[in-house]
Amino acid sequence: MKRGLPLIFIFVFGIMAMLPFLIPHPYVQNTDQFLRNDFLRIIAAFALVLGLGSLLRVHYDKIKRRRENWEYSWVLIIAFVISAFIGLFGGVEGAGPLPTRIGSFHFDIQTIYMNIEVPLGSTMFSLLAFLMASAAYRAFRARSAEATLLLGAAFVVMLGILPLGDRISPHLPSFAQWIMNVPNVAGMRGIQFGVALGGLATALKIILGIERSWLGGGE
Amino acid sequence: MRIIDTLLKVDRRIIYLILAVVVILPLLLPSPQKVRVMPPVEKLFWAVDTIHEEKVLIMDFDYEPQTQPELEPMGLAILRHAFKKRIKVLVLSLYVQPLGLAKSAQDRITDEYNREAKTNADSIIYGRDYVFLGWQPPPLVPMLGMGESITEVYKSDYYGNKTDTLPLMKKIKNYNDAELLISLSGSSIPVSWVAYAQNRFGIRIGAGCTAVSASDFYPYLQTGQFTGLIVGMKGAAEYEEMLEAKLNVHKKRKASESLPSITYAHLVMIAFIIIGNIGYFVQRRRR
Repeated sequence: MKRGLPLIFIFVFGIMAMLPFLIPHPYVQNTDQFLRNDFLRIIAAFALVLGLGSLLRVHYDKIKRRRENWEYSWVLIIAFVISAFIGLFGGVEGAGPLPTRIGSFHFDIQTIYMNIEVPLGSTMFSLLAFLMASAAYRAFRARSAEATLLLGAAFVVMLGILPLGDRISPHLPSFAQWIMNVPNVAGMRGIQFGVALGGLATALKIILGIERSWLGGGE
Repeated sequence: MRIIDTLLKVDRRIIYLILAVVVILPLLLPSPQKVRVMPPVEKLFWAVDTIHEEKVLIMDFDYEPQTQPELEPMGLAILRHAFKKRIKVLVLSLYVQPLGLAKSAQDRITDEYNREAKTNADSIIYGRDYVFLGWQPPPLVPMLGMGESITEVYKSDYYGNKTDTLPLMKKIKNYNDAELLISLSGSSIPVSWVAYAQNRFGIRIGAGCTAVSASDFYPYLQTGQFTGLIVGMKGAAEYEEMLEAKLNVHKKRKASESLPSITYAHLVMIAFIIIGNIGYFVQRRRR
């Protein structure tokens, strides 16, 4: 029952998700609309609560067992509780019953987001440029004919997308565009076909109950 | 030879410092750079420009703080374009994180227009000229549901208003009333719009993506599934260029101002790669 029920659900709902794309009959379309607009949203709401609960449990457990970097879990839990409290009672822009300003100091969700999350997120991502520069310096070598070709294409694309490329030669941006439009598309399309066919095969295996690793249990 | 050895052993902190200097300095002294507009951006510009009066433009703001510097200038430029041409806009996000950035972009552009407006007709008014639909999880629900009824999927907007009471939404039922949907995202969301909204309902899709993810999107551009594509900061600068040249919109060109910084950073990268390779070949010959 523990494994049988999920397998029945995945088979029934998997087939039902495919049918509306193939059968235009109003009965099928209306059932699909109900499943998508009502049923799916309820499941999504449960998943959200489950996800947040799971996140808190993982970090609580980390603190309890004093695992590596457990101190940072406190940061997550405190930030979570404070922002949830402000969000629930103060509203996104301070329209709720909880006051979210002291004089000219605002602490509504939008202000917190724009002044804490946005700079933190941008900082994390911008560090990538430094790592890329260092990695390119140390590892991007013309060791073989393929690597040399890759290096050449990278130079052309890098220069071609810059305004400077146009000044070096008016043909450079067009050549960079050609690299993106032709050899890149040829390679990407091959990869995407492969991924799509692989996805289709995996989906069918899950729907038909052949692939069962998603059920867990380690069997 | 000693120079080569020294260069190859250079501390990574020096590389970081050089990169930081070439990125930060041009940002302190901003000077917008002119760019040549490439076909993918030009196509998207004209697709927006030719939206019919009775149709709307749907804008999916799905970038997060991490990709905001690259994608936000696109969003600002497209909103400026739409409001300049009095095209009605519906804004949404498929995930919760980008909501704050979507709101900030709309507020900035509407303030910009409303400061200069002299009459009510000149102003950009919420509910009449644009609506912020907000966020409805999971993404599949709005992607497919908006093909049937937008107000059924988004019963209330971001601000809690009933969508069917807003003047603009009374004229808009589903994708048939939208001429174009533009998705700005650092992930594969624009491709999902093609897979679900376009394949089933036929809506035209335009996309804005980060430079690093551009190669994933070119196949969709070539097949015509994407009406146009804006790639990275350079693409956003091209859109700003078009806006200024064709519609005489002279506003702060955020992407164009950031281009010198990107140019120098790329040149430094190229220089590093060349130096690294010279060192590699010299060492190989020595062996």
